[in-house]
Amino acid sequence: MPKFTQGDVTIDVDEDGFMLEPEQWNEEVAKALATTEGVEDLTEAHWKVVNYLREYYLQFGVAPMIRKLCKETGFKLKEIYDLFPSGPAKGACKVAGLPKPTGCV
Amino acid sequence: MQVHSQSLPQLSPALLAKLSQPKLTPEKIQERLSYIIEKDRVPDDLPRRFLEAFAAVLQHTNYRQVIDNYARIPARCANCSCACQIYQQTHDPKDVPCYRSNLLLEAYRRHFTLRGIVEGHLKGTPYLTDDLILEMAESYYHCTACRRCSLECPLGIDHGLVTHIARYVLSEIGLVPRALVISTREQLEGATHNTSAIPWAAIKDTLEFLEEEIKDDKGIDLTFPVDHEGAEFLFFAPVSDYLMEAETLMGIATVFYAAGDQNRWTISSQFLDGINYGLFYNDWVLEKCLRLEVDQLKRLGAQKILIGECGHASRSAKAFMKTFGGGKKAPPVVNIMEYTWRAWKDGKIRLRPGAIDERVTYHDPCNIARTGWIIEQPRELLRAFCSDFVEMEPHGVWNLCCGGGGGTVSVDEIRPYRTGVTGVKKAEQIRATGAHYVVAPCANCKKQLREVCEDNGLSDVEVVGLHDLIYRALILD
Repeated sequence: MPKFTQGDVTIDVDEDGFMLEPEQWNEEVAKALATTEGVEDLTEAHWKVVNYLREYYLQFGVAPMIRKLCKETGFKLKEIYDLFPSGPAKGACKVAGLPKPTGCV
Repeated sequence: MQVHSQSLPQLSPALLAKLSQPKLTPEKIQERLSYIIEKDRVPDDLPRRFLEAFAAVLQHTNYRQVIDNYARIPARCANCSCACQIYQQTHDPKDVPCYRSNLLLEAYRRHFTLRGIVEGHLKGTPYLTDDLILEMAESYYHCTACRRCSLECPLGIDHGLVTHIARYVLSEIGLVPRALVISTREQLEGATHNTSAIPWAAIKDTLEFLEEEIKDDKGIDLTFPVDHEGAEFLFFAPVSDYLMEAETLMGIATVFYAAGDQNRWTISSQFLDGINYGLFYNDWVLEKCLRLEVDQLKRLGAQKILIGECGHASRSAKAFMKTFGGGKKAPPVVNIMEYTWRAWKDGKIRLRPGAIDERVTYHDPCNIARTGWIIEQPRELLRAFCSDFVEMEPHGVWNLCCGGGGGTVSVDEIRPYRTGVTGVKKAEQIRATGAHYVVAPCANCKKQLREVCEDNGLSDVEVVGLHDLIYRALILD
């Protein structure tokens, strides 16, 4: 089982670096995971996206539709790509501690 | 006549070197096929297991006839190379389609034909090695199974079919991209019964969200029909649309609304995923997915299977429903573009001319266009409301693949290959049109084309579905 370690944070991740046990997620973990996505500093805008994803995931067990994410956070898709270069489904979800999306996503 | 050992043909040094190669270690296999196998499932004893699986496939399917026929053809003229966009990009002889097909056909000739077996015994040439099986696994997943080469083959070999059969055999011994297996496992055995693992509660939430969006945009009260018994069409979208393609789904629902066909379609709450990765690697999976669709059709008393904007889901249902979904009683399969075109032709929906000013081009998904199934309908629709519609060259039956066909688009690990090799010709094609919108009525193609555009510097291009634009052009009274 691959482990991801940075500073005090040690978590189990899958082969693509997504969390295996999303319940272990906390803000420190998010900051550590963000560095793997080329995001050094989590700004307020980043947190807005991450927190919404997190909230939706805890309620429904999956990431929200991208259009819904944009609408609820008030960001355009392009702005989300600016925040998380690998996009909402891969980058933002990874930082928010969601499992890797499967299928044609 | 007694055969003296001296009279046996001498093995060439090259062949001897090949035969004396040590067997590959699991670590070596893992290294070479990193994205193809799951880490805890590295298979051993590959040649024996491959031949057993191959024998079983030949015995229990109709593929033996095909393979036997193809194996009698030398298949070395390489006419297909000028049709293959991968070979055109790499100029590597190993990417010539008939070279690829010959990997499997040679294994068949050597191990399943009398001549091959006798010759093999006399010369002592064990054909299959670990190395060769690995080469097959790599090679057959480098192919996007777009089947453009089959149009060029003067001997009528469908190299896409050979790729399919080879992947079928490989998957039986555990050599199949991890991304495909994980998704299929969730679809067939998981709690959510779809490849993107979306629970029903989330789908329901999404549908309600889309209904609100349509109300905001268009001012109409529309509901997505769920589990309506006796509807004519049972709708299967590629389930990723419920995460990624809001406007495609909104467009489809609005077309039904505008046509007054609100009661003619429904979505099943128990199984709604049209994605069928079986088409890419395994007929068992192909059959199971189709049977799940038919089960839902029977449960809801629907008559026809309606597939959303998805190439492989459409072809897997259209081409294989008779084989796997009930023989002569198999339900008809309709693609959403056929339905919308018919509604438009019958005057049930109206499209506002000039609704889209930007330049628009249309990408033919291989699984829909290669056989000539649906080519003109979407173009007629687009011309009706786009003031600047241009074609890519070539297009239609001769289209170029998006570069992510055959399931490769789901494998994130090979994105550099998909956008830097297989998708380059497509990027050039799109650039040449100068189009702002590339209409791709396929979830696979959409994902791949977005990545191709991003990685090839086409930042102004927007990849959309056909119904995304129809949604904007529909006239609602």
